[in-house]
Amino acid sequence: MVKLEQVEKIFKSDLLAQPFVALDKVSFNIPDGSLVGFLGANGAGKTTSLKIIMDFIRPDSGQVTFSPSLGNSRIEIFKKIGFLPERPYFYPNLNGEEFLNMLGTLSETPKAVLRPRIKHWSQVFSIEHALKRPLKTYSKGMLQRIGFLAAILHDPEFIILDEPLSGLDPVGRKGLKDVISEVHKKGKTIFFSSHVVPDIEEICDRVIFLEKGKLIYDGSVQTLIHSSPNTEIAIKVKGNREVVENILKGENLVKSWDDMGSDYQYIKVSAESKQKTLSLLVNHSIDIVSLDVEKPTLEEIFYKIKNK
Amino acid sequence: MNSKIYTIAYYTFKEVLKSKVLYGVLFIGLAIMLSVFVASEFTYGAPFRVAIDVGLGLLSLSSLGISLFLGVNLLSKEIESRTIYMIISRPVTRIQFILGKLLGLIGVLIVNTLILSTMIVLVTVLLGNQIEGLFFWSILFNFLESLLLLLVVTAFSLVTNTVLSSVFSFVLLIAGHFIADTQNIMFVTSRPLLSEVLKFYHYVLPGFYKLNIKDYVLYKQTLPTDFLIMNTVYGLSYSAFLLFLIIYIFNRKNLD
Ligand SMILES: Nc1ncnc2c1ncn2[C@@H]1O[C@H](COP(=O)(O)OP(=O)(O)O)[C@@H](O)[C@H]1O
Ligand SMILES: [Mg+2]
Repeated sequence: MVKLEQVEKIFKSDLLAQPFVALDKVSFNIPDGSLVGFLGANGAGKTTSLKIIMDFIRPDSGQVTFSPSLGNSRIEIFKKIGFLPERPYFYPNLNGEEFLNMLGTLSETPKAVLRPRIKHWSQVFSIEHALKRPLKTYSKGMLQRIGFLAAILHDPEFIILDEPLSGLDPVGRKGLKDVISEVHKKGKTIFFSSHVVPDIEEICDRVIFLEKGKLIYDGSVQTLIHSSPNTEIAIKVKGNREVVENILKGENLVKSWDDMGSDYQYIKVSAESKQKTLSLLVNHSIDIVSLDVEKPTLEEIFYKIKNK
Repeated sequence: MNSKIYTIAYYTFKEVLKSKVLYGVLFIGLAIMLSVFVASEFTYGAPFRVAIDVGLGLLSLSSLGISLFLGVNLLSKEIESRTIYMIISRPVTRIQFILGKLLGLIGVLIVNTLILSTMIVLVTVLLGNQIEGLFFWSILFNFLESLLLLLVVTAFSLVTNTVLSSVFSFVLLIAGHFIADTQNIMFVTSRPLLSEVLKFYHYVLPGFYKLNIKDYVLYKQTLPTDFLIMNTVYGLSYSAFLLFLIIYIFNRKNLD
């Protein structure tokens, strides 16, 4: 859908300050039909990259090219793109419906198509009741949802989202991730940025990882995250420590142990020891209360890549 | 092409109308009525002059106020608060965006002018006076003046912050009214260099005084039609020049 080649962006904020390299010869490619996560800490250069793709700012060198399937002119291409800016802000006095109608019309979607779509998606995002209210009365989560709705309203082929999940509560995050997956399954290409590893891991098959303006990883999410030695499985079981210890001893499976009173044990094992540990516990009829994958943090992944 | 400009203009207009600005205009309208009726009690024989004087004064104040305060935010607030990204990430060119925004605000200026000039006409007629042709020219000139100010402040807002933009535009507005009188005073005529500087200013910077004919309306004088047309053309061509400048800068601007 889009290809970046050796894109460089240098900010010169004032005359005395050192020029700041926000993007250092970044190259990557978003294939048609993919769902790609754009990972990086705050300040890594994600938003800057997206602004360059959207032609809001121009790179100092390098090239951005859209795939010919989108069209040849800027107007044709942008008709098929849906974009959600970071922390979107809205015209405070327009109501939700007016806002969506404005953007839908600008994307050349006929009114007759727009109306049922607004109805459908506003139900999905539970903002239907608020469509007649001015946007200044919307909560942060509602704004994020209506912003996302506006980004997909014209049924674009290529959807670019800058931190779409930030500012949402857990339920909202889950809901939005489900919609992103659903839209992707309909054949749309999606590229979205996030500084939160689990968000990307859950729905993306590919990840592009940026650190301080440099691209440091571009590939499968599985390879990046799951093979990380830092992935640990936390198992909570019901039972006396001695009993459980007896079952697992001799195998050197347990990495750490939390005694939570006399009744519950909290055991951490590595990803590789997971099956073995669980089968031992099950065979001895130990009640397994919960099982959690402890995800590596952004820093842990970053150090892992660096030390390679 | 045109439908996109219209869409942006329509919602810009709507956004402003739904803010409290319209209440302000209606309030000024009421103020015109009230003050004229009160004043006409005290100014025996000249209530007409009071109506025109107060009316045109307040109309000019509100149009210029709208231009200055809404104009300074018209683009800068869009950029600062990133609403602009919502729009230019669509199949919309930057020229369409800027023309739409400006047209939306011009729509607000027109509504403001219509409401307040209707008020003035109403009050004047109620006081038993006739409205003359020059009055309508002065309404048109008032509109052109606020249009010019709107484009001045918009141009500034693309290159500097909102505070400086407002200050610079305000200074230009004041200077543009006084420049006409400065050239003939002794202090200037006796100093050739200053005289040249002022002449330069005269030719280059916006001559707002050309769009002020309130005194003529007030004293029921007449003005030659070609003078009126020339000044209209001046206002329009200066505005066109500023519009091209704004488009030129905006097309090259980094929107971050
Ligand atoms: N207009 C600008 N002028 C100067 N520095 C900027 C500008 N925009 C972004 N930066 C800097 O570039 C870096 C990358 O920013 P950004 O792309 O917003 O990061 P991210 O979206 O990954 O959090 C940051 O250090 C930021 O301060
Ligand atoms: Mg960002």
